Amino acid sequence: MHLELAVQTTGLTRDFGSFRAVDGIDLVVPAGSLYGFLGPNGAGKSTTIKCLTGLLRPTAGSMMILGTNPIADPVSVKRRIGVVPEDLALFDRLTAQETLTFVAQVHGIDRATAQHRASDLLNLMELKSAGTTLVTDFSHGMRKKLSLAAALLPAPKLLFLDEPFEGIDAVASRQIKDLLLSFVSHGGTIFLTSHILEIVERLSTHIGVIAGGRMVAQGPIADLRAGAGSGKSLEELFIGLVGGDARTPAALDWI
Amino acid sequence: MLLNSLENTGARDRLERFSLAIERLGPIMAAVFLIPSMLGLAIVASAAGYSLGRGDQHSLLFEALRYLLLFIPIASIVGPLFLPAADRTNPVRLLLLPIPRRTLYAAQAATALGDVWTVIVLPIALFVPFGLALAGALDSAVVVLAGGAVFLAVVIGLSALATSVLHLIARDRRRGELLALLFILIIPAVSMLPGLLHGRHSRGAQRRGSATEEVHLPVWVAAAAERAFAVYPSELYVRSARAMPAREVQTAATRLGLLAIIAVAVHAAGMFVFGRILDSPGATGARRSVTARKAWGMTIPGLTPGASAVALAQLRLALRTPRGRSILLSPLVMMAVFAVVVLRRSGGFDLGPVSLNGGLGFASFTSFICLVATLPIVVNQFAVDKAGMTLALLSPLSDEEYLTGKEVGNALIAFPPALISLVAAIGIFRSGSPALWAAVPLALIATYLLISAPAAMLSALFPRLVDLNSIGRSSNAHGLAGLLGMLAFVVAGGSNLIIVLAATKWLERPGLVPILLLGWCAIAFFISRVLFAVARRIFASRRENLALLLSDK
Repeated sequence: MHLELAVQTTGLTRDFGSFRAVDGIDLVVPAGSLYGFLGPNGAGKSTTIKCLTGLLRPTAGSMMILGTNPIADPVSVKRRIGVVPEDLALFDRLTAQETLTFVAQVHGIDRATAQHRASDLLNLMELKSAGTTLVTDFSHGMRKKLSLAAALLPAPKLLFLDEPFEGIDAVASRQIKDLLLSFVSHGGTIFLTSHILEIVERLSTHIGVIAGGRMVAQGPIADLRAGAGSGKSLEELFIGLVGGDARTPAALDWI
Repeated sequence: MLLNSLENTGARDRLERFSLAIERLGPIMAAVFLIPSMLGLAIVASAAGYSLGRGDQHSLLFEALRYLLLFIPIASIVGPLFLPAADRTNPVRLLLLPIPRRTLYAAQAATALGDVWTVIVLPIALFVPFGLALAGALDSAVVVLAGGAVFLAVVIGLSALATSVLHLIARDRRRGELLALLFILIIPAVSMLPGLLHGRHSRGAQRRGSATEEVHLPVWVAAAAERAFAVYPSELYVRSARAMPAREVQTAATRLGLLAIIAVAVHAAGMFVFGRILDSPGATGARRSVTARKAWGMTIPGLTPGASAVALAQLRLALRTPRGRSILLSPLVMMAVFAVVVLRRSGGFDLGPVSLNGGLGFASFTSFICLVATLPIVVNQFAVDKAGMTLALLSPLSDEEYLTGKEVGNALIAFPPALISLVAAIGIFRSGSPALWAAVPLALIATYLLISAPAAMLSALFPRLVDLNSIGRSSNAHGLAGLLGMLAFVVAGGSNLIIVLAATKWLERPGLVPILLLGWCAIAFFISRVLFAVARRIFASRRENLALLLSDK
């Protein structure tokens, strides 16, 4: 059976001088999946996302995003993806509406469609009343929601989300989770990183685990859990994969 | 080959290292110059103290130190305004420490010891007494040393008070931005006026052949100014230092006592304001809204929607940040100052090598200044967007669209003030050849066409994350980009000047000027397209560096 892939990399490598941040990873992200990309701090998750979204060029290896090589045809790939990067990528001195207008214009979306979609998204994210407020006056949570709205506005086929639940309150988090599930149920693909393993466990259909720039496990979440032994939570599986057990600190008896 | 080398990661890293080294050169050069300056000042102070000790109360060296000290209290008040926000003490962090408030205040005040204006006081406060001691006036040396210590305390207190007051004002973001803008606009204008007006008096005097032309102040103003000057901190120190060797012990004690009272008062005020900050250290400020109607659907004719969106975002950045607003407004303030001066003196005046005779010279100069004023944004056009730049880089914009959008956006920032200057000059002066008036906008267009691509190259090669809410160094472009950008402006502007001189002086046909400049505009357009292709390649090779700027990899 031919499996349609939203993201596929072979030997993806990225160096910063002598430091190898991503070390030959082979990603396989099926279309229509919600792929949780996990790893400890500094494992290379954000660098991988930067390579996949065209912000960084890989030092070695190849990539295919939605069937297109993003290095050969970056504009075509960027038309079909949405990204919420770690720095949230928003103009401080634009309002929420102007931000969405900017995104609509660079994607060549006509004015009526843009207005309709922006209105829906601002309502959904509960940012309607802040639509004419400058982003510089937004809280972190509001920025995150606006960044997600900006990523969704062009109706992408593939979403890259770098820590979308960080700094988000419980209500907004629930809304975003529902939104992401709805996006996937309509055929979209999500590639997300998060340190909140409970959320990844609930949402993801597939996971990939990276540690020290190398892929240590990848596949459908059910298969990985079955392989690790019955009854293991994703947290236990994750800690086992990244070697967290060995790093248990000696008892701090002075605390 | 050079462009290809930029695409190589190693070369890119070398360029970044070079760029950082250039950025760090400024403080190193300052330190290099500061050390011999301080040594020189110590020698001068010793000699001045020695002269005082030998009975020369009006020693030229001590008079020179007096004038230098006059600026110190002013610098300690104004100086903190120009420091980057990140360089100021963060009271929220301090509050987390188990330290008494008085100690926190002392720690904050002690940071003023690193300020240049405080460092200047140190050799004077130490070495004037040293000179006095060398001259054998030991008792005077002790008193003057005490006076120097108290004066130093006043300077530190003023700096701490100014920093705290600024923090109180600026924690309301909107109020802070307004303050920043006012300073940017008012300080240069005010600082230029005395010199320009003085120039008028001396020139007028020269014209009339009289020796001097004195300006008389009302008696009460002069008396009040004299009384205020007598209790000015540096004057109190100077007068007490002069009184002691002359055996005017009471005068010296009175001045020293007054100086000590001022020191106590300044530090009390400083502690009070600092306490207010510690009580509520968070930032405040109402959210700023923009009219919804403006947000939708505006597209600049002739551009793709993407390029138009980039251009409008660039213009909005300038309109909504203090530094951006100052770029738009300060040339107009300057123009108003020059207009007043030009109108008050018949026949114009010289500004260095530039002669502003009549409306044409005035219009050319001020509109050129309007273009040059955009330098901090134009030569750092990508990085000024900060996280917005990442959004642009993630967007499906071709490099050409992005650079075109930036080029047009920068033009939208530069041209309105320039055209306002031109129209105002026409309205005010009305004289001169229409052909030459028409030449001014053509010269501006040619200049902008020639500098836009080099500016994009410099922005890609030497990006610098800046804070356009700041009025100091932290809102400036990369030093090298600024320098080369200024050079590009001068070369581009100078080419117009050569054409004008060729037509008016050598060919003696002023009517030819607009025709020649129109032709030059066409050539400049062609040159700019060639340079633009190079800029596009440089930008493409530097996309990664720009993307990594925020994460500082």
